Amino acid sequence: MQEFKLPDLGEGMQEAEIRRWLVQPGELVKLDQPMVEVETDKAVVEIPSPVSARVVAIHVPEGQVAKVGTPLLSFEGNVTKTSNVKQVAPETPAPPVATQSSSVSAKTVLAAPAVRKRAFELHIDLAQVPSSQPNGRITMPDLEAYLQRKSAEPALNGAAQLKEEAEEKRQPLTGLRRQIAERMERSWRTIPHATAFGELDGSALVGLRQELKPLAEERGVRLTYLPLLVKLLIPVLKEFPIFNATLDEERREIIYKRSFHIGIAADTQEGLMVPVLRNADTLSVIQIAQKLEDLVARAQKRALALQEVSGSTFTLNNVGSFGGSNGVPIINYPEAAILAVGRLQEQPVVCNGAIEIRPMMQLALSFDHRLIDGALAGRFLERFKQMVEKPQQLLLDLV
Amino acid sequence: MVVGDVTTAVDVLILGAGPAGYAAAIRAAQLGRKVTLVEPGPVGGTCLNRGCIPLKALLEASERYARTGIEELAQFGISAETVSFDWSKMQAWKQGVIERLSNGVRRLLTGNQVELVQGIGWFLNEKEVRVEGEHGSLRFAFEHCVIATGAGAPLLPTDVLTPEQALKLDTLPEQVTIAGNDYIALELATALARLGVTVELAVPGERLLPEVEPAAVRLLQTGLRKLKIRVKTGVVVEQLKARPLVVCKEVRPATAGLRLDVAGVQVDEQGGIKVDSMMRTSNPAVYAVGDCLGSHALAAVALKQGKVAAEVLSGMRVQFAPMVVPQVVQGWPELAAAGLTAEAATRAGYQVKTGRFPLAANGRALTLGADLGAVFVVADAEHETVLGGTVVGPRAADLLASLTLAIEMGATLTDLTEILYAHPALSEAVLEGAENALARAIHVLNKP
Repeated sequence: MQEFKLPDLGEGMQEAEIRRWLVQPGELVKLDQPMVEVETDKAVVEIPSPVSARVVAIHVPEGQVAKVGTPLLSFEGNVTKTSNVKQVAPETPAPPVATQSSSVSAKTVLAAPAVRKRAFELHIDLAQVPSSQPNGRITMPDLEAYLQRKSAEPALNGAAQLKEEAEEKRQPLTGLRRQIAERMERSWRTIPHATAFGELDGSALVGLRQELKPLAEERGVRLTYLPLLVKLLIPVLKEFPIFNATLDEERREIIYKRSFHIGIAADTQEGLMVPVLRNADTLSVIQIAQKLEDLVARAQKRALALQEVSGSTFTLNNVGSFGGSNGVPIINYPEAAILAVGRLQEQPVVCNGAIEIRPMMQLALSFDHRLIDGALAGRFLERFKQMVEKPQQLLLDLV
Repeated sequence: MVVGDVTTAVDVLILGAGPAGYAAAIRAAQLGRKVTLVEPGPVGGTCLNRGCIPLKALLEASERYARTGIEELAQFGISAETVSFDWSKMQAWKQGVIERLSNGVRRLLTGNQVELVQGIGWFLNEKEVRVEGEHGSLRFAFEHCVIATGAGAPLLPTDVLTPEQALKLDTLPEQVTIAGNDYIALELATALARLGVTVELAVPGERLLPEVEPAAVRLLQTGLRKLKIRVKTGVVVEQLKARPLVVCKEVRPATAGLRLDVAGVQVDEQGGIKVDSMMRTSNPAVYAVGDCLGSHALAAVALKQGKVAAEVLSGMRVQFAPMVVPQVVQGWPELAAAGLTAEAATRAGYQVKTGRFPLAANGRALTLGADLGAVFVVADAEHETVLGGTVVGPRAADLLASLTLAIEMGATLTDLTEILYAHPALSEAVLEGAENALARAIHVLNKP
């Protein structure tokens, strides 16, 4: 019998949630036939079979999170052919297959006999227990800690059960929701947030888009405000490099990023995703528009590769696209700042002593107060406002 | 149906009083169960009455005799005139050992309030067993039943001896051919050769003990040569013409007469009872342990399985799941092994790190006059976790215990080398075997 273990799908991924099994025990699978759908950090990936063989057993049920190296399923006896696992999502490296003879139980779980005995007694699969030891050995305290965590869950559920039927419904935090929760927690807990607000007159932006829209359409590109805003944001980031930076918390050093990977917050059916526009400073408006359209569309389908949802250096949150006029954004950890732009709304504004109707846009810039002070944030916002209100400035610096 | 048939309701009914059955009986009694133990013969089963114990007794007696050989004693500066032995007295002593042990087990059973019923049992249905014995026919309805009926030798031609029969021959033959490739064949050959019998060991298959570390087998072969045992490999046992011939073949589960079909207990093609790791059969009230499963045929396994079944039927959640099963061949030298050999570990996908320490470099071994032997240690190269060990030399089975413990505990080579070993002692060879794997043994040149 051979075990198939969860491979490392790249980008330092440590675990994945088993979303859906595409094969059943007893089923004969072909080489490269998709076996299981797993959800990693922010992408859903199908793992194909490394062999042609019969599936004997599935070890991790749907909905459970498995660590890299955890046996996912077992194949029967003689497998005919092996190849490397390929990922369905593009641009990610093919991870190696981790198969091994199951006759050597020692290799799968390292634990003293008393620990194994206790685990069996408690119906605990030792493969699920995280180890505190460098060699992966499971100790009795590891087992007890796992048991406590595990028993805490059903106890909660048990107590809540009666109430649940009456007035509430409980649902485990899984998948994307769980990841969003964890990231937000981490950002909010580590980064002292401060937010600066601003407002800009979008008349010029509206005019610019109206002029460019038909031209872009001729090239088959639907031009929204977002690509223009990205383009106008880049010079500001270059001018204020601390906004395109990150704090190395351990070494207490500021890391200034030389590349401009702009995260774009996107709403999907299952929750917030932040696809990344890599090297946005090297792209034209048309290219940005094309890339964005593709990224957002694939975010909806959860078909993004890991590197397309990680590694951003600054995040732009177009709350306007979700219908909001404004909101306070939470920094996309470990970045230094995030800019939320609201919807363009016609509002009465006083211009040269007269009341005029202008399309106004609300701005909210949340920043890491360890790195950035309020005055600087104000200047950043002011500069961005100038850029958007007079977009022709772009020409001044055009090479 | 026997006239006046009365059904006796019992709590735990155990069929067979060998190591598996009596261990189950005692453990169940400890846990407060009322146990009825059914056995047609003397308690202790094959191991105690016909197998391990008589064989080991004979090995010990023959070793003592061989050690008094003139050449053997001369190296210690001892000279002896004549030393002889009396086969029938040796047999009587052996029988004495068996009886003493058997009585000991019987007393333990009585002391634990286990009711012993002499007779042969078989199933009437899923809940009942009939026992035919000296007290007539009895019918038991059980809450739980543990099958521990053991295994027996396969059918052999009438002019061929089983190892059991060879152990109690009236007279010692001048020469004998022993066919087999297991510990029984090797031990029998060793014992008889030491008593002056000309022994030919006919080995089916290409390699002697194919599962054992090849370098360890070579040491064993050196020992066989010293005893003037001729070893022939690639033998077809059925074609052997030599007589007397002892054939050591894998034993068969003794399940044929149990009527397991009516009990709803499933068996495999070889008649071995199918169980899970908690020793449960396909009938929820019936458990099976020991040689009747058709897997190991080792008393160490049977004893543990018996205890597991007793605990499970008493409501505990335990299983039989040792990582390794120690194997011993009491040849001359003795060989004991547990876990993976370097070859098996490599086949299983490990990068291995191996260590070896010859007893010729161990002070205690030299003072014992026994320098033929070595310790082999196999570890996973990455974490240096001990995966297997083989010991050849005096008291190899006892020395192996520390390696078995290391494997089961998931100990590393460093764990083995950080503890102190008494000096001078054979156990130091285990230390230096592990040190050699780490290229730091003191009393041997380490490989670069």
